[in-house]
Parts: sequence; C-alpha cells; structure tokens
Amino acid sequence: MASQRVFQLGLRRAVAPGFRVQPVGRMLQRRLAATSGGNEQSASEILAKQRLLRPVSPHLTIYKPQITWYGSGLNRITAVILSGGLYIFGIAYLAAPTLGWHLESPSMIAAVAAWPVWAKVSAKIAVGMPFFYHCLNGLRHLSWDVGVGFNNMTVQRTGWAAVAASAALTLYYAFST
Amino acid sequence: MATTRVLARLAATRTAAVRPAVFSRGFASVTDTSARDPISKAAEKIVPDPARTVVPESKTSTVKEPEPSKDAKIKTFHIYRWNPDEPTAKPRMQSYTLDLNKTGPMMLDALIRIKNEIDPTLTFRRSCREGICGSCAMNIDGVNTLACLCRIPTETTKESRIYPLPHMYIVKDLVPDMTNFYKQYRSVKPYLQRTTPSPDGREYRQSKEERKKLDGLYECILCACCSTSCPSYWWNQEEYLGPAVLLQSYRWIADSRDEKKAERQDALNNSMSLYRCHTILNCSRTCPKGLNPALAIAEIKKSMAFT
Amino acid sequence: MAFIVRPSLLRQSFASPAAAQRVFSTAASSSMRQTSPLVQQLRPAFARTAAPKASRIAAFHATQRQQILPPLPQKVVGTTNDPTPIPDPAPAHGSYHWSFERLVAAGLVPLTVAPFAAGSLNPVTDSILCALLVFHSHVGFESCIIDYFPKARIPKIRSAAMWALRLGTVTLGVALYSFETNDIGITELIMKLWHA
Repeated sequence: MASQRVFQLGLRRAVAPGFRVQPVGRMLQRRLAATSGGNEQSASEILAKQRLLRPVSPHLTIYKPQITWYGSGLNRITAVILSGGLYIFGIAYLAAPTLGWHLESPSMIAAVAAWPVWAKVSAKIAVGMPFFYHCLNGLRHLSWDVGVGFNNMTVQRTGWAAVAASAALTLYYAFST
Repeated sequence: MATTRVLARLAATRTAAVRPAVFSRGFASVTDTSARDPISKAAEKIVPDPARTVVPESKTSTVKEPEPSKDAKIKTFHIYRWNPDEPTAKPRMQSYTLDLNKTGPMMLDALIRIKNEIDPTLTFRRSCREGICGSCAMNIDGVNTLACLCRIPTETTKESRIYPLPHMYIVKDLVPDMTNFYKQYRSVKPYLQRTTPSPDGREYRQSKEERKKLDGLYECILCACCSTSCPSYWWNQEEYLGPAVLLQSYRWIADSRDEKKAERQDALNNSMSLYRCHTILNCSRTCPKGLNPALAIAEIKKSMAFT
Repeated sequence: MAFIVRPSLLRQSFASPAAAQRVFSTAASSSMRQTSPLVQQLRPAFARTAAPKASRIAAFHATQRQQILPPLPQKVVGTTNDPTPIPDPAPAHGSYHWSFERLVAAGLVPLTVAPFAAGSLNPVTDSILCALLVFHSHVGFESCIIDYFPKARIPKIRSAAMWALRLGTVTLGVALYSFETNDIGITELIMKLWHA
C-alpha cells in the first residue's frame, strides 16, 4: 500500500513536473450538508439550547425490581410509618388535655381491649411488620457500616431473610396475644 | 486500494444530485433551534418536560427482520428512541424483530445488526465490544450493564427491552449525556498527589500488601452503570457523587503513595457528596465488571468515622 | 392568557420543525410525512413513519402524569472540563453526624430487645430508649428531607420542612418526657396494649 502511494505520487510528478500536488480531497471531496463554522461561543450556546430539550431517561418505572433497592425502599417506608406514628402520638398526647381526648395509658388500654379480635390482630400486623422489618434491616445496615456482608449473594440472602423473618415474627406476635 | 477510494469518491459526487432525502445527514438539532427564532419568541420559553412519558411499544410500529428464513428464531427487542431533530416529541419504544440465528450472541451484536441491516438511524455508543471501554453501558431488561457483555436470552418468547442508562439526559436514542458524571469524576482529583520525592529518586514503591488494596478498585472502567442504578443518585445527581466516582475517590484514598488523603476525605465530608449513600447496594449488584462500589463507599465512611 | 399565546405556539410547533426537517433531518421518515400509504409500503422498513404524527409534534401535553419534583431541563454549570464544585468540609453534617447516628442506631438494638425479652421495666433504660428514638427519628426524617427536597431547587420548602421537623421533634421530646414522668412509660404501654 505504501509503495503504491509512492508510486502514485511519483507518477503525478512525472506527468506534471511544474504543477503543485493538490490534496486529493480538494478535488474529490465535497460536503453535502453546509455547516457554517461558528465560533466556540455560539457552539456552546447551541449546545445549551439543545440540552434544555433533552428528556430524562426512565428510571424507577423500568429498573428491575430487586431485593436491594426494594428492600431499601421498604426500610425507609417502614421507618416513616413507625416514626410518623410516634410523632403523631407525641403531638396528640400533648394536645389531648386541651382537646379533651383521653390518651392516658389506662383509657387507651381499655379502648384497645374493647376492640374485636380481628381489629386487634390487624392492628398488631400493621404495627409489627414495619417494626420487625426495620429492626432486622437495621441489623443488616449496622453490619454494612462495619464493612461486613457486601458480597452480592450475601446481600440477597440476608435481604430475603429479613423479609421472611419479619413476616414470621409479625405473624407469631400478632396471633400469640 | 487508492484507486478504489478515488472511484468511490467519484461515485459519491456523481450521485449527490439525485440523492434521496432519506440518506442525507444534517445537523438538524442545530437548525432546529434557529428555526424557532423568526416565528415566535414566546415559544422559546416553552421547554418540553424532561420527564415526559415514553410512548409504549404498543403504539409504535414494529420493524421486522428483513428476510426471515423458515427456521428463524425470531426475538423481539423494544428499544428506547428519542430523536433530537424532533425535540418536543415524546421518546418512544421502537420494536424490532431479529432472527437470532443470524445475530451474534451478545446484545451489542443485536444492536449493531439492527443498525447495519434494519434501521441505520438507531444510535448508541460502542467501541471495544469486549467490556473494557464502558461505552455501551445501557439498561437491558431492567438492569444496567454493558451491551457487549450481556448475552441475548435465547428464549424467544421473552421480549427484551433496552433503555439508556436510567435518569440521565438523553442526547439521542441510547446515548446519555455524561457531562455531569465526568465533571464529578474530575472533582475527586483522580491522579496521584504527592510532594515528597521518593527516597531513592526513582519510582514510588509499594509493598505487595499495599498494592493489594487497590485490587477491585483500579479495574473500574467508569461506565456509570452503578451510578445510574442508584436511586440516591437519581434524585440528587448534582450534589451526590455516586458510587462510581466514590469508588474512584477511594482508589486514591487507599493508595499508599498518595499524600493528600486528608484533603480527599475533607472534600467528601459534607452531607451531600458522600453521605447520600444509603447502602441501597444496587451499585454492587449491577456492576458489569464484578466490582463492589458499595464496599468502597463503606470503607470511606469507616475511614472517616470520628474524624 | 393561554389562548393568546396558543396560536403562535401552534404555528411554531407545526410549521417550523416540518420546514427544518424536510431538508436537514437525520430521521429517515420525517421528510415524507405527507406521502400515500402505498409509497410508505414501498420504502425500506426504517424509512416508514414509525410513530404517529401526534406523538412527534407535541408542544402541549394535555394529559400529563403529575410527578413529584420532575427533573428540570438540563443545565450544565461551567464548561465540560471544569470539575463540579467541591463543598466546604462540614463534619457536623458529614462524618460526625454519620458516626453519631450509627452509635445511636447500634445503641437502640439492645434497648429495643432487652425490655421485651427480659420483661423487666427499668425507667432508666426506658428513658434512654425514648431519647435515642427521638434522635433516630429526627435524623431519619432529616435524611428524607435532604433526599427529596433539594436545597438548590426548592429552598423555601426545604427550610420550611426542616423547621417543621425541628418543631415536631421538640414537641415529641416534651411529649415523651411528660409521658415518661406522668404515665407508665413507652415500653410498658406497648406491652399492655399488645396484650390488651
């Protein structure tokens, strides 16, 4: 290939000795789309304008459900349920005397005791599930914070174990009175 | 060789006049912005919503395998498309059917075959086709991975879906804009910082143990699969650095030759840069190179505890 | 107001892209939008119109799914070669905060298990449990606010949420204090409610 080029070049020079060798592209290459050579400033402006039009690729809706991020999301949701309940109880407890509610422990216990069994059980499940899951997942988090259990298989196993164990504990404590 | 090139160029100039518009290539995104100007200035303010929904594949056409043979193993691929030439249009899922017998084993082979034989307008990044460049990172069947390392599932009943990396601004089709990611990478100063010369005036030496600490860190190819799989990074992309960049940061924190460990840690010591990591662990799960960014982040947190 | 703006918008959205794309589009199909179905069929597959026209040109989305804080249009600060700004070190919001929060979380483990497992009700451990719970909840909510209410984007809502949280936490602290001192204590209450 190199020898071919040299040969071609030599040939050209032989044919037109006084003629300066023109670059090949000038004769044969023609750009079909006219592009005006803008300066850097206008180029960045065009880019900035185009950026404004870009969509964001889908994320939550298309990412595969996996125990990693579903478990983590559940951890946060259960945390909000538990802490939110605590905050609501605290505020209600302070407001109770002025509003005439009875949130002292004897009256609350008496009220709950009067509930039918299904209400008690479902209330226990509603509180127990978040509590146990958050506690067990919290243990996983503590182990990660000391740098243990980052293997992919370990993460999946402990994740499902936390779900299963919290379900089992919830059912046990919900029905054992 | 040279003659064929010349001939080809001649042919190209000859056909230019009768060239159909189909094959003309332009810089339409450029012309489009200027095309807005003369008509209405008010429209400049209308910016299409970046979170616009994707048109599902049921509402778009399917582009079929050109000449399916009798024993063809036809598999359907739904691919995210968005064209900057039509900037206000919604992104859409375009379906393609391919004969797996004529296609290579990897997702990248399928994409290249679509581009070569079915639809040349499909746009994606690719380079090395062997998992070392990180160009072809995308979301395949819901998981971020490199298309060149991802086998096409052979069961033809299951349809494959290919999206760009999640929660990124899209340049075109499967090409996300990685500017922010690279800028963040730059912010962790990914190079050896050292002022004292080595004792013997030669290279900076490491013991085998010190070198071993960099295993599992230096292999990162910055494909951004992990960062874009992280929900925390989805919500706080501007401030949270994300797993990939933090792993790179730890690669220099852990390096025994580096002398700016404290400065590197200080740069992360605020509520956003590092501590938006909630150990969700999508990053380690998805890493196509089998690295563990979550562990690296945990090591940074540990090394910074009580300091 | 909208109907004043609208005609110009429509003109813009229909006329200009079509005109621009007829010549310059890289999309194979856009230049031949008004062709007959037969011509469409004769084209190679990729050149056919893939998406319905309505979805190609859509300046208005009348039915938009409402999202909480959808992403903004992309803006890049500085050039491509500038690093993102590095925040000043703030260990009180960084490493100290994290370490302290981990200590509290670790401390909560025995305090949660012990009273229910042992069945013994110690007012001291009970009050420590309450204090740690208040702190843990506060940090957890704070983390949610930081995650979902970005400061740069909605500074007022962010600070309002933060102050509401602080107020709520103080209220909770007072409430739990009075509950611990005047009533039977939190673990006792839960136990009795559970067996009620």
